[in-house]
Amino acid sequence: MKKITNLKEFACTPDRFLGGHRLCPGCAHSMIVREVVNATDDDLVVSTATGCLEVCSAIYPYTSWDVSWIHIGFENAAAAISGAEAMHKALKRKGKLYTDRPVKFVAFGGDGGTYDIGFQALSGATERGHDFLYVCLDNEGYMNTGGQRSSSTPIGAHTTTSPRGRVSYGEKQKKKDITMIMAAHGSPYVATACPSYWKDLAVKAQKALETEGPTFINALSPCTTEWKFKPEETVRIGELAVESCAFPLYEIENGTKLRITYRPKKKIPVKEYLGAQGRFSHLFKKGNEWILDLWQKQVDEYWDYLQRREECGV
Amino acid sequence: MATPKEMLTTWDKIQFGAVLPSFEDPKTKKRSKFHSYNYKVADWRVEKPVFNPDLCINCDFCWVWCPDSCILVEEVTTKRGKKQAKMVGIDYDHCKGCGVCVDVCPTPIKSLLMFPEHTPIEEALAQWPKKEDKKKD
Amino acid sequence: MAEKYQLKKTEVWDGNMAAAHALRQAQVDVVAAYPITPSTPIVQNYAQFLADGYIDGEFVMVESEHSAMSACVGASAAGGRVATATSSQGYALMVEVLYQASGMRLPIVMTVVNRALASPLNIHGDHSDLYLGRDAGWIHLICNNPQEAYDLTLCAFKIAEDERVRLPVTTNQDGFLVSHTAQVVHPLDDDTAYKFIGDYKPLNPMLDTENPVTYGAQTEEEWHFEHKANQHKAIMDSFPVIEEVFQQFKDLTGREYKTIETYKMDDAEIALIVMGSTYETAMVAVDEARKKGIKVGVVMPRVFRPFPYNQLAEILKNVKAIATLDRSAPMGTTGALYNETAGALMANGQSAILTNYIYGLGGRDTTVEHLLQVIEETQQNAEAGKRVTPLQGFINLRGPKLSFN
Repeated sequence: MKKITNLKEFACTPDRFLGGHRLCPGCAHSMIVREVVNATDDDLVVSTATGCLEVCSAIYPYTSWDVSWIHIGFENAAAAISGAEAMHKALKRKGKLYTDRPVKFVAFGGDGGTYDIGFQALSGATERGHDFLYVCLDNEGYMNTGGQRSSSTPIGAHTTTSPRGRVSYGEKQKKKDITMIMAAHGSPYVATACPSYWKDLAVKAQKALETEGPTFINALSPCTTEWKFKPEETVRIGELAVESCAFPLYEIENGTKLRITYRPKKKIPVKEYLGAQGRFSHLFKKGNEWILDLWQKQVDEYWDYLQRREECGV
Repeated sequence: MATPKEMLTTWDKIQFGAVLPSFEDPKTKKRSKFHSYNYKVADWRVEKPVFNPDLCINCDFCWVWCPDSCILVEEVTTKRGKKQAKMVGIDYDHCKGCGVCVDVCPTPIKSLLMFPEHTPIEEALAQWPKKEDKKKD
Repeated sequence: MAEKYQLKKTEVWDGNMAAAHALRQAQVDVVAAYPITPSTPIVQNYAQFLADGYIDGEFVMVESEHSAMSACVGASAAGGRVATATSSQGYALMVEVLYQASGMRLPIVMTVVNRALASPLNIHGDHSDLYLGRDAGWIHLICNNPQEAYDLTLCAFKIAEDERVRLPVTTNQDGFLVSHTAQVVHPLDDDTAYKFIGDYKPLNPMLDTENPVTYGAQTEEEWHFEHKANQHKAIMDSFPVIEEVFQQFKDLTGREYKTIETYKMDDAEIALIVMGSTYETAMVAVDEARKKGIKVGVVMPRVFRPFPYNQLAEILKNVKAIATLDRSAPMGTTGALYNETAGALMANGQSAILTNYIYGLGGRDTTVEHLLQVIEETQQNAEAGKRVTPLQGFINLRGPKLSFN
């Protein structure tokens, strides 16, 4: 297993996801992808759901991938990777593999391809126990198509299908808790991650890849275009999400053992995270204070819940 | 989205099943003409990051967070025999000018700064803020 | 190593068992499937073969047909032999991915048991699912009995995986009428069957990770047309390979398949064109009609895609009147076989009086008597030298006569 101790060493890794892709300037997707695919020296077969990453990294006649890669559709990244993984098992059993090198299987999907349209395929592949890592690039909406809401969009966020308006404060529903749902599948390893905490993410990716069976990482992917912040602020926005506990970093083994992997030294008010993004700007107008309060309450309650779980070792 | 002329082929000479090989020669890892590495996105840029090696501490923050894999590093071995990545420059073919590298640069006076695209590097370095300056960043 | 299955020289199998044995003998590396009536027994039989040690490959019981075909595409791109089975609504759920499989030129074999499409719900045989997949870029082979379901599934692998083709193939058998009707089948022994198909020949396998490849790139207006044209040429060019494989199969077994099957067409003045198990009913009807002096024959495209239009025109060059029988609701036009036949005739400067019949929807019986009626009406057209019967009629439909002109 590759040792990930410090960045100076990690940065010696030859990149396997390269430039020339057409993701937006400052996109967190490629930060996450690089932190995942560079976390192992094993060969990779990657499937990707339809979404920003897919449409930007394989625009014919170009590919940005130095690993085997497939895109089929929006809803089937997990099904595709389960097929590839099954083929690996079959060929191994029959002594027909193409290489002796170790091969790992990774699927990437956005929150659309994971929380929503691809959820069935993900649930199925996880239940079947294929040996793969699924990474959700969670930018809290259908950003590839111009920022429509998904079931990951948090309350109060403006999206093009849950717009703020004269009588609306934006998204009405709470963000779906996909990580806990995946943990409930009994997956041997699930985690949340944020690319701003590169080592946390890379080590989790590594753990997930080394764990036999279906593993899952929900990685927050701050979206400069649709969350409406400046492209250079991506890493900082990720930090605000984690430092405010709006997006806490934790991992769960076998669905039963939760561990918080990063604890902010001083939890900052969630307002600071929300206020840094244009998609929440209307929440700071008069009359919408209650949503900010509700946000803070939900963040506090969830953070408290995580800590209690960790303390109890469950 | 337009494909460069030299890459355009006819229906009878296209990639079977639209399958693209990453490498022309997998042994030497020589990238194929289908690799996006051969596609330049430099014209996306309005401002470019300029690297000042005199100030850099080789923390590699810029390397890990560059969304376009544009931070060029060289592997060096320390006196203690440890492998380390030394930042040597910026790949201006693939840099889109997002400015993340500048934002994450931790040195007291940043060793990466954004300058207008057409500013020559030497000029940019000459304009670099000094310790005594009230820094603009 | 999987155990050999000791087969008798003659077995009594229904179409589902026949297809399942063909999959087993092909030593498929990955079968990913979701059971659906009436093809469920293919999946069940295969699972039992696996449980009894007759299969080395992976069997992935996915959570839907969409995932079944998606896993098949992932597995096939990974680099090995892949197959699945489905019917009807399952087929419909797969359609999105069927186009992906053919566009990526993946030689997946799918044994389809044809069934009606809802609504209203119906589990019985018609060709709605086959017609739904018509333009998906797959080669479609038609099997009329369990023996054919077995034979053509073996052939399907050989055709699909041929380096001159590399396209997915379906074998189609009528729900229940073939899938659940036990008949005598003469199987090959395991070694002979596998040897006929041969080892899988990899092409751009993802699992050759030292030489990584990208599948499923996005091609916009600049590239998509060229790719689709290239793919279309591949399927059009597959005829000689299909014929070659059929010839090799005949050399091995003595059983002959043609891209278009005909019965008593040599001197025929009128013809029926039909696909599926009704071809066999039509043969009986033709014999009956000929007793009355009607010179009728019957034609069946064995290969529905690519469509053998020139061969069809050649076969029909001396007939005066033709009835095309479609087992799928055309919903606002004439049936697909009617349209294909009309095109084939026109393109070759031929003409014949052409009518269309819709029959057998949702498993409705179509008997010799029904077909004799069709023959009689077609004969009227031939004798009149012009069409005197409706353009489109409905066979064995309850209620007032329904027809369109």
